[in-house]
Amino acid sequence: MNLLEARLARLALKGDQRAFAELVELYQDKLFHMAYRMLNNRQEAEDVVQETFLRVHKNLERYDESLKFSTWIYRIATNLCIDRLRKRKPTYSLDAESNDHEGLDGYSMIPSDNRTPESEMLLSETQRIIHEAIDSLAPKYKTVMMLRYIQELSLQEISDVLDMPVTTIKTRVHRGRDFLRKKLEHKL
Amino acid sequence: MECNVAIIGMHDYLDGDLPREEAQQLQAHLRSCPSCMARFEQLERTEALLYNALEHAPAIPAYDQAASAKLTERIMSQLPKEKITRQNRRGALRYLYKYPGLAVAALFVVVMLGSFISMWQQDSKLVISGEGEVLQQVVIEGKKVTIPEGVHVKGNLIVENGEADVRGEVEGNVTVIDGSLNLASTGYITGQQRTIDQALDWFWFKVTQSFSGLAS
Repeated sequence: MNLLEARLARLALKGDQRAFAELVELYQDKLFHMAYRMLNNRQEAEDVVQETFLRVHKNLERYDESLKFSTWIYRIATNLCIDRLRKRKPTYSLDAESNDHEGLDGYSMIPSDNRTPESEMLLSETQRIIHEAIDSLAPKYKTVMMLRYIQELSLQEISDVLDMPVTTIKTRVHRGRDFLRKKLEHKL
Repeated sequence: MECNVAIIGMHDYLDGDLPREEAQQLQAHLRSCPSCMARFEQLERTEALLYNALEHAPAIPAYDQAASAKLTERIMSQLPKEKITRQNRRGALRYLYKYPGLAVAALFVVVMLGSFISMWQQDSKLVISGEGEVLQQVVIEGKKVTIPEGVHVKGNLIVENGEADVRGEVEGNVTVIDGSLNLASTGYITGQQRTIDQALDWFWFKVTQSFSGLAS
């Protein structure tokens, strides 16, 4: 798999548009899915996906083949998502961790702005509650949870994507999971 | 096992990261601790719900195959048509990119050559240098420097852009730059006599002179 992608990347670098189109096909929907879950907005998710591929195309010659192609592209996409989430939030000190919420910072206490006019077709109340709970996670936890549960990456892979130590990722998965447990425990 | 250790163990277990031996210890603890057991069940349920909600998420409204194809089209159309790669850069420029040292050396040579040429051309005036005693006894007429007959001087004499006419005795070196040296039959030079009129000689002379100047 990784060999195929590295080969496609090399062909695309030589100017082969079809090879690049194949890379788009391989990743576009995965990236869109994640970006949509992160941003909760279809238009923004599409923009992020487009921007991701533009950056990939522009930086193909700098692609380091020792890194998995998926790791590289997820890194670009998650950074773009995090940037957008940060810009949305008000600027007062939210990074101060509060004790009441077991290490989750102030971001998680602000209700996420529901920018989606096209309200999602959720089949059940259960699904709605789960998605609401996920949306209330702070960006740094949300990112980790998305990579873990949507892309089903291992902790090591997430650590590669975010370029952070595995121990940090582990802590975030644990805290994120526990935060969601508390949110969901009374409702379900 | 303490409850807080057990809680970490639960997460590690859900991450698929708990060694078998520790999993057995955790199991033993859960059997004896109802509150931990309850917590573990909640976590397990949360985990299942998350996978279910995210992995098998319902289709996002209005993002169907047609929308996906449209996005693909948008991405492909936004790509720059021709990639500008390193190979497209012009040859000489690329050379300089590759060897920055070369660029520095080239610039150095250009600057040095420039100042050297201007220095050389500037000196069209008559310049005489030498030890005090020598200068007192020479006679200067226009561009002609004469050491009169019967005069005996001790020391070196340098004449630039002029004519040296030695009629007396010089106990030292006589150097003429960009000019001529005329030694009369009555004249006598005990040291070296040199005439320099080539740029390179002149340059070399300047260099050796400044070095010997430093040394003395």
